Amino acid sequence: MEKIAVTGIGVVSPSGIGKRQFWANIKSGRSFIKEISRFDALRYPSRIAGQIDDLEKYSHISERLLKKIDAFSHMALVASELALQDAGIDIKNEDPNLMGIFLGNAIGGWLYAETELRDLYLEGREGVSPYMASAWFPAAPQGQVSIYYGIKGFSKTVVADRAGSLMALGYARKVLCKNKLNMILGGGMEAPVSPYALLCCNTYGALSVNNQNPEAVYRPFDRQRSGFVIGEGAGIVVMEGVQRARQRGANILGYISGYGTSCDGVDRINPSSDGKELARAINTALEDAKVNPRDIDYISLDGLAVDIWDDSEINALKIVFGDALPGIPASCPKSMFGNLLGASGALDMIIAILSMEHGLVPPTLNLEDPVAGGIDYVSQQARERKINKCLVISRGRGGINAALVVEKA
Amino acid sequence: MDIKTKVKETLASLLKIKIEELKDGESLSSSIGVDSTEMVESVIALEKEFGVKLDVKEVTKNSTIEEIASSIQCKMTK
Repeated sequence: MEKIAVTGIGVVSPSGIGKRQFWANIKSGRSFIKEISRFDALRYPSRIAGQIDDLEKYSHISERLLKKIDAFSHMALVASELALQDAGIDIKNEDPNLMGIFLGNAIGGWLYAETELRDLYLEGREGVSPYMASAWFPAAPQGQVSIYYGIKGFSKTVVADRAGSLMALGYARKVLCKNKLNMILGGGMEAPVSPYALLCCNTYGALSVNNQNPEAVYRPFDRQRSGFVIGEGAGIVVMEGVQRARQRGANILGYISGYGTSCDGVDRINPSSDGKELARAINTALEDAKVNPRDIDYISLDGLAVDIWDDSEINALKIVFGDALPGIPASCPKSMFGNLLGASGALDMIIAILSMEHGLVPPTLNLEDPVAGGIDYVSQQARERKINKCLVISRGRGGINAALVVEKA
Repeated sequence: MDIKTKVKETLASLLKIKIEELKDGESLSSSIGVDSTEMVESVIALEKEFGVKLDVKEVTKNSTIEEIASSIQCKMTK
């Protein structure tokens, strides 16, 4: 399958809104994980997160629309606008039937749902907003983006736990390769910093409960790891065929050239410890991209900071890369802003593209004592390196594996 | 305050729009492009505000502010 061009980036994250602010913070290795301030989270085992406090400042969405949508749709709308601006696309000049939206999400819009469900029990049926039905479900952002821009082409929302957005990008590429659409807004969004969503994330049991020092808690692949930290945000990119991008004089930021996915099929939560199925997904992506494992210059790790997840990820890398692995820099930049669950893969893909553009491998924060040797971990500080080809890994509960190959423009 | 002004204020506050957007003699649909869910919400808000039960067939997106005020006036005087 052919490469697809990425021509615009929209980021809404705890590390910044807009790609410049975001990249400045990523390359400086600054943590944005803090104690949750949106609500009283004192009684939760894990009460830290990557939280966005200034979305309104960057928002173009009217009060009239805001009251009808959840925060995850708001984030998707802002990220879409940033991506379209970055791509230099005036939507009025596009054929609406040939534009699509492919987004990933894991948990839906709980901030909206929680308050309305509370009102249902306190006030009865009439206390519930009529927008509840259209605000909470995982495909709501797809609908809102579609309505806002009048996009009418083939679109999809992928719900695959934390792997959702990377899978959405993979599917979007396939659709573009079939020439069914001219352009796709692809990526994902997640808003888990709400009381019930945080409760569910806590119940899952993989969050770190070490709340004392938020910035030092998320430590993927470190011997002192104690679980991950949630984050909220959206990462959306403009994707289009290479020929079309060139014809319209677009600034091509990078290419998506390969995609692979697999399922472990062993446990309802945990992955298979041997990493074989993840290795198969990675190999599928590399073959799809026609890229030799030795040609990969940077590996963006999933890095859940949970024993079985980190260990199986390392096992998969050893299967795929063999003796070439120690020569390939690898990192998990989400340690700086939290795991955006269903949006995490999209953020990682965006970071990979920015890393290639700037010739800089972003660091894994807090990785001081690696659990396993044989991997060139980039930790604490960014490292200069010419990067032409990246591998991005994203995984979800129950053993969902996704891998994407991204190449320099 | 007359009923028409109160209807306008209720709808403007509910739908987060400026009161001037609700133009006299124009339907809610043509003046502010109200959608069906906003109509559900609007009817509930007007019922609460005026203490009357409104029929969804009487208050629709094609109703003008004057027609809505008139329906409420009738219910209140019954």
